[in-house]
Amino acid sequence: MSQQILLKTENLCKSYVKGVLVNDNVSLSLSHGEIFGLLGPNGAGKTTLVKQIIGLVKPNSGSISINGVDIIANPAYARQACSFQAQTQVPIDGLTSRQAIELVGRVRGGDAKSVRARAQELLKYLEMEDWAKKSADIFSGGMRRLVAFCMAVVVPGRIVILDEPTNDIDPLRRRLLWEQVRNLVNMGSTVLLVTHNVLEAERAVDRLAIMDKGKIVTMGTPGSLKGNGAENMRFELILEPKQTLPDIPGFLRNTVTAGRRRIGRLRESDIGLATQWARNLKEKGIAEEYSVGPITLEDVYLKIVGHGDTLETTEKEDNHGTAAA
Amino acid sequence: MARLLRSYGLMLKWQGLSNKPFLALNLIVQLMIAVGFIIGIGFFYPQITPDIAKYLTTGAPTICLLTVGLVLVPQVVSQGRMLGTFDYIWSLPVPRLVFVAADATVWILVSLPGVIASLILGSIYFHFGIEFSPLIIPAIVLIAMTGTFIGYSIAHAAPKPQMAQIATQVIVFAIMLFSPIMYPISQLPGWMQAIHRVLPVKYMADLSRGTLTDLNVNLGLAFAVVGAWCLFGLIVTSLLVRRRG
Repeated sequence: MSQQILLKTENLCKSYVKGVLVNDNVSLSLSHGEIFGLLGPNGAGKTTLVKQIIGLVKPNSGSISINGVDIIANPAYARQACSFQAQTQVPIDGLTSRQAIELVGRVRGGDAKSVRARAQELLKYLEMEDWAKKSADIFSGGMRRLVAFCMAVVVPGRIVILDEPTNDIDPLRRRLLWEQVRNLVNMGSTVLLVTHNVLEAERAVDRLAIMDKGKIVTMGTPGSLKGNGAENMRFELILEPKQTLPDIPGFLRNTVTAGRRRIGRLRESDIGLATQWARNLKEKGIAEEYSVGPITLEDVYLKIVGHGDTLETTEKEDNHGTAAA
Repeated sequence: MARLLRSYGLMLKWQGLSNKPFLALNLIVQLMIAVGFIIGIGFFYPQITPDIAKYLTTGAPTICLLTVGLVLVPQVVSQGRMLGTFDYIWSLPVPRLVFVAADATVWILVSLPGVIASLILGSIYFHFGIEFSPLIIPAIVLIAMTGTFIGYSIAHAAPKPQMAQIATQVIVFAIMLFSPIMYPISQLPGWMQAIHRVLPVKYMADLSRGTLTDLNVNLGLAFAVVGAWCLFGLIVTSLLVRRRG
């Protein structure tokens, strides 16, 4: 992969209401030919960042460049360079799938013949041929999303921005869609993927940034974010309803609580101890089930953005004084 | 230039296809407006004189055009703002005014059946022959463009899309009841006459009258005032659609 920078944002700040920063000093760069994931919970500022990159929204301060061109001063360049799948509704009522995809392809500068061929290829690959001539008025949310995806990639920009591309889409077509995303890189595009589906992102992206409360809190490859320390295994215990956990053993570190789930890290050499402990809890009727596996990106994500009422740390019940995970 | 025309053609096709499912419904609504204003307003008068008949028949096309421009356009644009569809449209590599031009073209075309229907209906109902001037075509286009651009401005200027929808109701109410479209301006109180010498509505109706009847109308002034409002609406629309949040 070339390391030449294609998109760069520096110290980007955006506020819609005075004193409330939606983007707070956001700096990131995308290289040619990579799939970059932008992850974060609702309200983290991901969509605002994307809107600034494609020139829909003007930052209060900071800079954005695509291929060295200042796109705050020249937003038309951004619209030409970026093709975009919006999270919001795409105006396709009254059009068939094929018409919508071909129209965007032509608008993006493709010639009629090659656009028609590419649209057909996408419809076939994503198993949408049966819908090709049907009006989008009758489409489900998932079908509309697939059409919107095809519209974004029929004549892909140098940067393809996909905002939650797999929402509402069935598992089979999700898999096919991710293959098409990977194919975009082979076609010479760079992909900026905005999502809060961490499991899918882990498999799809080359690098990623996690945003929270308007800031980029961490950035790197999935492997580097997961870390390669000694405690590289993930242990998950699901308690029986209304059961509480007695003391957490020393081998289990960085535990977090999510509902009835208790998730922690451990060394590979401690797997035997952990499974023995969990079996005992099951026999006593405290635990319902448990699992052990390699650390996932979701664990990292939960550790970083696991605040508020969706996830609480077990700092108080963790006798080993580990940091809140 | 060729690229702009190509973009215009493609967006025109897009907007045309998008509106296709509503064309039949629009046609019915337009016919109802025409019938309502020509026959319904006629009931207010104990006797329809030839001059009243001309006012009613030539006022109805203006009402049809303004209903589309000042009600339908802001409502559809506001709905698009609420659904976030403009985020997508503005992200396309098409100058925003090119999209507005394509959209306005569709709205003008949507208005035409109502205009034609009201003229035919009025001339048959009141038994008088319409005297078509070639200037009727630029007059109708100018009225429709002005209404559409003002409608666009209202829809994009409103801080909340719902506010634009409420504003259109107030505007159309004022236009239908307190504007010299279906009756001469002399019937209004002096202060309202003064307001209507600045607003475009009276001059829009004059354009219709001056190009379809032998009523005494200063067509040059009407074209100048409506043209100025059209330019104003275009400039405001341009500024509003090009702004970035």
